[in-house]
Amino acid sequence: MIRRVRGPAGNHGGPEIMVAVMRRRTFIRVLSSGAVATIVPAETRAVTRASKQRYLRPPGALDEDEFVARCIRCGQCGEACPNRCIKYFGFENGIQSTDTPFITPREKACVLCMKCGDVCPTGAIQKIERKAETIMAEVKMGHAVVDESLCLSFQGKTCGVCYRACPLPDVAIRVGRLEQPHVLEACVGCGLCERSCIQLPQAIKVMPNHG
Amino acid sequence: MADQGTDIAARKPLGLWRHLNKLRWLSLSCVLAMLIIIPYLHLYQTYTASHAYDLLAPSEKRIYDAMEILTAPFVSNPAEDLDAIKGNTWSGTFWGFRVSDPLAALGQSVAGLNVHWPFVATALIPIVVTLFFGRIFCGWICPATLIYELNTNFAAWLRWAGLKPALIPDHWRFDRRIKYAVLAGGLALSALSGASLVAGVYPPAIIGRETYYAVAQGGFGVGSAIFFATLLFDLLITRRGFCRYVCPGGALYSLLGRYRLVRIRRIAESCNDCAKCNVICEFELDPMRDDFGQECTNCTACMAICPTDAMTFMLRAGDYPAQGPGHLGREYRDAEIKQSEAAE
Repeated sequence: MIRRVRGPAGNHGGPEIMVAVMRRRTFIRVLSSGAVATIVPAETRAVTRASKQRYLRPPGALDEDEFVARCIRCGQCGEACPNRCIKYFGFENGIQSTDTPFITPREKACVLCMKCGDVCPTGAIQKIERKAETIMAEVKMGHAVVDESLCLSFQGKTCGVCYRACPLPDVAIRVGRLEQPHVLEACVGCGLCERSCIQLPQAIKVMPNHG
Repeated sequence: MADQGTDIAARKPLGLWRHLNKLRWLSLSCVLAMLIIIPYLHLYQTYTASHAYDLLAPSEKRIYDAMEILTAPFVSNPAEDLDAIKGNTWSGTFWGFRVSDPLAALGQSVAGLNVHWPFVATALIPIVVTLFFGRIFCGWICPATLIYELNTNFAAWLRWAGLKPALIPDHWRFDRRIKYAVLAGGLALSALSGASLVAGVYPPAIIGRETYYAVAQGGFGVGSAIFFATLLFDLLITRRGFCRYVCPGGALYSLLGRYRLVRIRRIAESCNDCAKCNVICEFELDPMRDDFGQECTNCTACMAICPTDAMTFMLRAGDYPAQGPGHLGREYRDAEIKQSEAAE
């Protein structure tokens, strides 16, 4: 699988680096898709990934493949979430993701309380101390991206709501002239900016770190 | 004969044991109640955390006050005490102590193709308990068991009312070993897909999740359809069929409890071959012929129903070899008469 990894300059013009990694699941998928390809013509084949849904994993979650393998679907992360932002997949994200936790930031974003990691019995969501430094170092849910053609501040209407919603202001997001937001490298992808954006559709989005 | 009489007296089971079945129902009810109450506690906690008291509607204030009054005698630190029991029987926390189902540990190890010791260690207590008591989880703790047993009663009622369709002949039996194949197949699929798929078909895991989904996530998830299918299977095809033939967790517990130390055994001297134990046994074992095997859940239903108190516990790593007909039964008496006649 070719994974896109964001370059060092963040989302502002930073080049997306293509990194080739082969994971077991991918390997099996390649094998099976090879088997399928010999039978079914390419045009009629379904997409390899069942869903193109944009979702976040809870803060401190391992990399997607490892997370899916580690999670036992006990539902305790959701029960610990005081903000009730953690939801669970049915079949919509593929059978492997069934009953695994996810967050839709536009509906309800993560407040980075880190309680899900405390209760996770398997370490699929890592235990992370609730401190700005440790959170910034270890939480990698995603990275916020501003759509300047939608953002009110970039249209000359001073807004700055996303900046005020950010739990790591001036560290993860900075505002310039007319409160124009600029997401910095330290953004952990909690999604509170996306949740708070007053524009419809939202002008700031968290792009998840997984596939 | 006097000699035999003292023998029977010495081998009489403890009076308490025929009441264990009631205790078991209490235990099962408590577990299921816990799985329903915990999500409501979660709702209550998150609600009070996000709403200031003075902004509550009068009706909500009443609920809040009632909750405070009810919990005040037992609770010193509300946040901590309400969190004392969390999770479910699949994996839960009890006063800071984590306990997980052995199948959860096994499924995860297989899915990730590595052993994550901190988690596997949480399954240690259930494993040790199973080594001693066999499938005691299935009989005493599994939240599905209560529902399945009620389902059995419902099936009996349907039969009584003449509404039960005969989909398979009454004498027809599946092979108990199917569940070991399900366990092996489920683990193989988990390893191939890299996800713990056994969790998807294991009723205690499903019920733990689904009660939470239903209460706090706005509706039942996909697992409830699977559980409902198992209920239909039990209702229409074979009594407790899922537990006996399909359940991967039951298979794992059976294997672990194969050489369990605490077993039920028949006191042949007090047995009158009435076969009530065989009829009541949800797992359709053969207690009357000393055949418990690795499937017995120590549910003690046979102890409770035995009219002559011929069922007791023993400490032994294997079942008693078949003891023949019960001494109070006709078959044994006839054989004895024949023997004495032959001696004359």
